[in-house]
Parts: sequence; structure tokens; C-alpha cells
Amino acid sequence: MIKKKPTSLAKIIKSTIFYLFVTTLGVGILLPAFFLVSLSFLSTREAYQFPLPLLPALSAKYSLTFGDRGYLLSVYDDFDDEYQTVLDTAELEKMSVYMRSQIGAPYDIPDIEDRIAELESGTDPVYFKARKNLLLNYDLFFKVTRDAVPALIRSLQIAGMTIVISLSIGGMAGYAFARYVFIGRDALKFSVLFVRMFPGVAIALPMVIILANMGFYDQPIGLSLVYSVGSIALTVWITASIFMGIPESLEEAAQVFGATKFQAFLKITFPLALPGLAAAAMYAFLGAWNETVSAIILTQFNPTFAVVVYQTLLGAVGHVNLAAAGGLAMAIPSVIFTFFIRRYINQMWGGVTV
Amino acid sequence: MATLTMQDVTKQFGRKVIAVKEFNLEVQDQEFLVLLGPSGCGKTTAMRMVAGLEEVTNGRILIGDRDVTDLPPRNRNVSMIFQNYAVWPHMTVFDNIGFALKLKKMPKDEIEKTVKEVAGMTNIDMLLERYPSQLSGGQQQRVAVARAIAVYPEIFLMDEPLSNLDAKLRVSMRTELKAIHDKTEATTVFVTHDQSEAMSMADRIVIMKDGEVIQVGSPDDVYHRSASIFVADFIGTPPTNFLEVDVKSENGDYRLVNPHVDFKPESHISESLRDYDKKNLILGIRPENIVLTNQKDAVLSAECLVSEPQGSHQVVAIQLDQQYIKVIASAQPKINPGETVHLAFKQDTLRLFDPETTLAIGD
Repeated sequence: MIKKKPTSLAKIIKSTIFYLFVTTLGVGILLPAFFLVSLSFLSTREAYQFPLPLLPALSAKYSLTFGDRGYLLSVYDDFDDEYQTVLDTAELEKMSVYMRSQIGAPYDIPDIEDRIAELESGTDPVYFKARKNLLLNYDLFFKVTRDAVPALIRSLQIAGMTIVISLSIGGMAGYAFARYVFIGRDALKFSVLFVRMFPGVAIALPMVIILANMGFYDQPIGLSLVYSVGSIALTVWITASIFMGIPESLEEAAQVFGATKFQAFLKITFPLALPGLAAAAMYAFLGAWNETVSAIILTQFNPTFAVVVYQTLLGAVGHVNLAAAGGLAMAIPSVIFTFFIRRYINQMWGGVTV
Repeated sequence: MATLTMQDVTKQFGRKVIAVKEFNLEVQDQEFLVLLGPSGCGKTTAMRMVAGLEEVTNGRILIGDRDVTDLPPRNRNVSMIFQNYAVWPHMTVFDNIGFALKLKKMPKDEIEKTVKEVAGMTNIDMLLERYPSQLSGGQQQRVAVARAIAVYPEIFLMDEPLSNLDAKLRVSMRTELKAIHDKTEATTVFVTHDQSEAMSMADRIVIMKDGEVIQVGSPDDVYHRSASIFVADFIGTPPTNFLEVDVKSENGDYRLVNPHVDFKPESHISESLRDYDKKNLILGIRPENIVLTNQKDAVLSAECLVSEPQGSHQVVAIQLDQQYIKVIASAQPKINPGETVHLAFKQDTLRLFDPETTLAIGD
């Protein structure tokens, strides 16, 4: 018989605390994210119900009967387990619009006419179901919000340019810091971080003036230049430590075995540094993509996507679900990019990281 | 296959640090030459200048008749084994070995043939598809060796290639490297700070100190005919014993005298002592050249401080004033601490050094 190992009390307490901590952390991170995702799929009616539904309904159940002003439309409520009257009207178009935009489960006017015919032929009330359009909020967000799609494209452009600028300049600087000894190296390496000390708001006015002088105010290139300043600093530090971790003798070996200095960098150091460069690219992308404050100040007619979402949030007092859809639409590219780049950050050779 | 010539090669870092100073060397075709010296003596810098990884401040480097002083590494037709192997972690063993050949635009089937051939020579033909991280240190070393052989270089450079291996593997790799050298017949320059490695592998040894060549010679030369106190002390375990002695003349004979010894050296030394009458000299004698004898023939008698049994022999240490003298004696009879030992010197092996110049006299 296998004797079970006695578990000490301390161990139980320790693991209990550990899992409590992990769970709290997980809930703290996951719950708001879940809430946001769920909210973005809710119809306007659902979004303002109490209690708020955990998950969006996939269809809506309607009932139709005669009302004072025409026809009485009711919607089934899961929580109360009863039909609640939402509209009393004789205008079929108004009814259809209400069903589409407020309930999120569209029903065409001819179909409504059919149901009314049923009602008038004696069935009272008439029950019917409609499928919900889950993507309604997203659809609305991009249709209703002033230039959401161009803003999305601009944001992608800005993020892309920021990556290119900060990786080429910051990467080269990082390589120099890692490989060469020169006067003032440490001071310079430290001073690149200075630029990150100033809050965007604080230096916004000079930035506007400088960009305006350069002709880059309200231009994607202007914003990506501003973002690059900060992310170059970070890129320098990330890539310098990565390049430092790659022994110089690997490059030297390549040179001895027939490569030029540039080939040695391209074939040996670059692939080995790829995880670090990917991480730096990710920071540059996320920094440029998520930044709002500078973007609000430095754009006027060509806002970034973050600005558009921000404005929707301000203007969408009656449409919290719409703002949620905008927020999520904004999160999706950065999530995709992060997962895509993760492959490179975790890059391994032969099962073991370098 | 070629000779390597270094003429007055000097390497200066910044304004003050001179790593290699007017280095002159001629390496014969197919020779196995070892650069030996303590760390920081400039031996690696000297080798890196041959490889082209370090710019030459002054002087010329020739491979065969070609002046390669200003050529980039890739055009020198040398290959190198690095101290940390420097195998590329993101390439398979095959790609590591074939890297140089691919850059030379060699046809694929020829690359494959060459890689398999050198992999066979270094016993890694089973590992060609693996990545370096899946290999042991010894196997990575073989990859580095195979990669270096694959280009059929004129000069083979090895920068302390064995120092990262464990003691046992080091000794067996020594034999293998030597065997590979015999097979490829490439002119080889080998850098090490391990004198036993140098002794066992070299055709000739170059002993360096502070960027300068101290002595060039065969292992026998540097061991038995050390040119200076530094060499005598650096080569050999345990190192040479040194005794300060005064030269005294007595009826035309010269005697070497200090508080512990007083003897008349054999005639071949006496000749050179003429210039050093009444002066101070340093006597150097290797531990195995001090023999146990009886009281009558003893030059030196003292109490044994410790004895270290080594199996085949024992190392007996005695103390004279502040100094230890080590003697290699046969394993039997065992000498115990506290026992008085009577010692004599093998006269023909004595070396005398001038304390001012630290150089050997009488050569």
C-alpha cells in the first residue's frame, strides 16, 4: 500500500493563500475584460436593464396585441420571466426601427404586416421570435461615428511608422551601446530616458508649435515622430541589452568564415536579436496605438482611432454599449499584434531559448 | 598550407596600453605553434591580429608571400576556433559547418560532401540536424573544429579552445586536436595559458609576457633551457625552485654560497661565473633535478615540511627561511613530515639567472 505523504498545515495555508491571490488577480483582470466584451454585444435595451444580463441574448421573443394607440409590442424578459410592453404605436416603420435599434433583433415591415394579419384573424396575442444582430453595436459604431474607419487606418499607419522609426534608430543606437566603447556612453544611454520623464500634456504646446513649423501638425507622420521619441528610448534599452547578450565572437566567427561585417550582422546577430526586436516593436506599437492625450492635442481634422473612441465615450451618454464596442474594436488590433509578435518573443532554437 | 610571418607587429589600445610590442615571429609550414603566457600578456591579441579581428597599429603580417595586414578577415583564408566555441545557436550543426562554404557559393552537393567529410573526422556525423543547444560542451567544441576544418584554411587559429572543457575532456580533446592537425597538415597557431597543454601539443612554444616575446623554442628548450626567471617559473608543475646565492672565488674555483648551501658547481657553469665574482645570482633548479642522497653527499639538509603523494611519485616540500623548496622524489620510501632529508642537485641541470636582468647566464 502506498502511504500518503502527510501534508503539513503550513503547506495547506501557503497554497490556499497562493490560489486565493492568483484567483483574485485573475478575476481582477478578467472580469472587467469580460464585462467589456459582453457589454459590446448587448442591445441598448439590454445594456440599461437591471440587473445587467451576463451574456447577450441570441434572439428576442416578441408578443403583439392591440393597444390604445394601435398595436402593443412587448418583449420577453428573461429575468422577470414575463413580457414587458415596450411600444404602443400604429406606425409600422417606427416599430421596425425600434426593434432593430433598441432591441437589436430586426424585423421587417412586411413580416410585421403578416403578424398583424394573424392578430386580426383572431390570434391574440401573437407571439414571434427574431434573431438578434450581435454585431449591431460595431456596425453602428463605424457607421455613426464620424470617420472611424479612416481613423483606424491612420492609427495603423502611425503605429507602423513609429515601429519603423524607433526600431531603425533605436536598434542602431542599441547596437552601438552594446558593441562600442565611446566617451560619454553611459551618460548618453541614461539620458535617452530623460525624454520619457516629461508628460505628454506638459510638452504639448511646444510640440504643436514645432510640428506646425515642420508642416506635420494634424498629420500621421507628425504623431508618429512624437511617439518615436519616447519609444526610441525604450527600444535603445531593450535592444542594447539583447545585443549585449549576444557574444561578439559569434559575429567575429562569421567574419572569419567569409562574411562581411554587414553580412555577419544580418545572418547572425539579427536573427538572434529578433525576440528582443519583436518585444521592442510591440512596445512601440502599443504605445502609439493606445496613446490618446497627445493625439487629442496634436490632431484636429485627422484624429486617431483612440481619439475617436474617446469622443464617442464622451458623446455616448445613452449608448454605453456603443462605447464598449468602440473600445473593443480598438483593443482588437493590439491584441492581434501582441499575439502575432509573441511568436517571435518566444522564439526558440532546438527547444531551448538562446 | 602556408607560412605565417609577423614583422614588428605592435598593437596599441588608446594612447597608453600597448598590448603587443614589436612582435616578430615566423611560423613554418605545417608547424604547430603555441603562444603561451599568463592572462593579459597579449597572446590572444596577437592571434586576433592574424585573424584580422584586431587592427594592426604597426608592422606587417604575411601569410605565405601575401601581405594580409590590411585585409578583412574573410579574405585572409584563415580559420579560427574560439574560446567559447562561437557556434551559431540559431543554425543546425550542418548549417554551422556549411556556413562558410555557402558564402563561397559552393554547389549544394559539394557542400554536403564536405560537411559530411569533416563531420566524420570530428565524430559528429550523427548530430548534423541538431541545434547547438542540444549538444554537450564537448560536442559543440567538435562543431567548432569541424567548421574550422571545412574551409581548408592556410592558417588554423585556436584561441584557448580547450579552456571551457572539463579536465578529463580537455586531455582527450588535446589528443584529438593534435591528430586532426596531423591529418590536415594545416599551419596552426594555438593560444593557451595552460603550460602543460602547450608542452604536450606544441612543435614550438612562444612564451609571452606583457606583450613581448620572452622565449621561442621547442618544449624541451623552454623547459630545460629556460631563458629567464619568468619562463623557469611559468613552465612546469611544480615550478622551478629558486635560491639566492653569492659567488665566491677560492683558489681559482668558484663556489655558490648562501646560508643553506655552499658548493662548487661543475665546470661548464664555472666558466660563466668568472664575470660574476662576488656578485649575487639566482640559482634555478627543477624539482625533479633535486635528488635524495646520504648525509655525506648532501648539498642541502633540511626537515621535510609536508609530503604530497602523487601515486607515481611524491612531492616533498622543505622550508628555507621564508621560501619553500619542492622536490620530486620516487614514491618509495615514503617521507614523513619532520624527517630530515639530504638533498643533492643534478649539476648539469642547474640554471643561473642574473637578478638584475632576470635572464639566464651561461648560454
